[in-house]
Amino acid sequence: MNRHSLVRRRPFSTLLLIALIALLGWVWQERVALSAFPDIISAYTAKEYCSCRYVMNNAAEYCHGYVKQWLPISGFTDDAASKRITVSGLGRSNSAVWVGEHQGCRLQP
Amino acid sequence: MPKGLSLFFVLLLSLAAHAENWPGEQWSPGPSITGPALRALESYAFPPRNDTTRRGIRTDALLVIRDGQLIFERYAGPTSAATPHLTWSISKSLMATVLGVAYGEGRFNLQDPVVKFYPPLKKYPDMTMADLLHWASGLDWQEDYEYAPLKSSVVAMLYTRGHRDMAAFTVDQDAYAAPGQAFRYSSGDSGLLAAALKGIVGPAHYADYPWTALFEPLGIHHATWETDAAGIFVASSYAYLTARDLARVGLLMARDGRWGERQLLPKDWVAFNREPFARYHANQDDAVPGGHWWLNRAVEGAPRPWPDAPADTFAALGHWGQAMYVIPSENLVIVRYGDDRDSSYQHNELLKLALKAFGGKVQP
Repeated sequence: MNRHSLVRRRPFSTLLLIALIALLGWVWQERVALSAFPDIISAYTAKEYCSCRYVMNNAAEYCHGYVKQWLPISGFTDDAASKRITVSGLGRSNSAVWVGEHQGCRLQP
Repeated sequence: MPKGLSLFFVLLLSLAAHAENWPGEQWSPGPSITGPALRALESYAFPPRNDTTRRGIRTDALLVIRDGQLIFERYAGPTSAATPHLTWSISKSLMATVLGVAYGEGRFNLQDPVVKFYPPLKKYPDMTMADLLHWASGLDWQEDYEYAPLKSSVVAMLYTRGHRDMAAFTVDQDAYAAPGQAFRYSSGDSGLLAAALKGIVGPAHYADYPWTALFEPLGIHHATWETDAAGIFVASSYAYLTARDLARVGLLMARDGRWGERQLLPKDWVAFNREPFARYHANQDDAVPGGHWWLNRAVEGAPRPWPDAPADTFAALGHWGQAMYVIPSENLVIVRYGDDRDSSYQHNELLKLALKAFGGKVQP
């Protein structure tokens, strides 16, 4: 009875509470994927820019456009001497390095 | 008279043998084609290109080999004849071709359990090499790229949780079916093939094996194949070849695994590549899976995936519009590289227009 009256008195808060519990449950279930998610944009950009630039030998300007995605990046460096690309975005940073003619570029662990 | 006749046939046969064209250092040019059919193909493949919106068909390279000769090539965007272009999932069919050489050397059988060559697979002792080549490992894999990045196994494998050791990441997936029972396209399965190859040829030969086994015999001098941090080739995604060099692999496949005098891939290997996977159901994917190649075959009463192309057409296909089509009945190999960011490009349309321009036979 009390429960019914709570739902009647606070219908929106009750709904919000249920939604919050569902969201927390989902976050818990997807915790591994969610914690890895912010790395995607910087890792993708570093790796694919490196290959675009140093494996396919395309121009830097073209490669910037080629790797552009809907998520923003906040930092980008290409150390041309060591062929190392470092990209930051969503609070994470990742690097890719050109390792050789046969093996191309690789994300750094 | 019969003597003269047989001599005539011997002469004809030897002429035919001499008439077979193979590329040397370069492809020899074939008769050049012009006319409205070619113009129609070019206007389909090369519409004005917008590098800001990136909408529509964005072909980087289109190259056509007929009878072992180069009869057409055109490049766009930043790509040239010298560009080793990213092939994305064409790499999967290339890994199958590298494995085919190892198979020809008697190093493994299709029914061998993969765990024999890649011990971490001990959780799945029944999974065979054929199962992986059919994309039928039974592992619960999600193959979306951009549209579901959170759940995508392939994004996690290439860029986040899996990139250090992609095969180990794949083995960690749960199973949803017994091996060999169901088709599900999976970059993880292709990656396991690359890991198995290391056990098949041995660690001492592995790092150079794609070059010594396949690229060098075909005269391919500038191939790149990226690896993960564990040194395993990223067989799902990361081989780079020029359009001209990729077409060499296409010619090898068009001619049943023979390169000049040498049977580089056993004929039964190529037959396996081109045999539809029996457990595949119509419309599970855009084309019919064979042994790590895509087939234009009618299954379960459904129409062929590319109705305007002959039924013997098969292909290696990759993300963003990468494609190599092999049409043995027309002696055609077509390489198409692209940077398609939407789904405007259609294989059937390209094949239809290419066959009108270059096909020897009259299309119905």
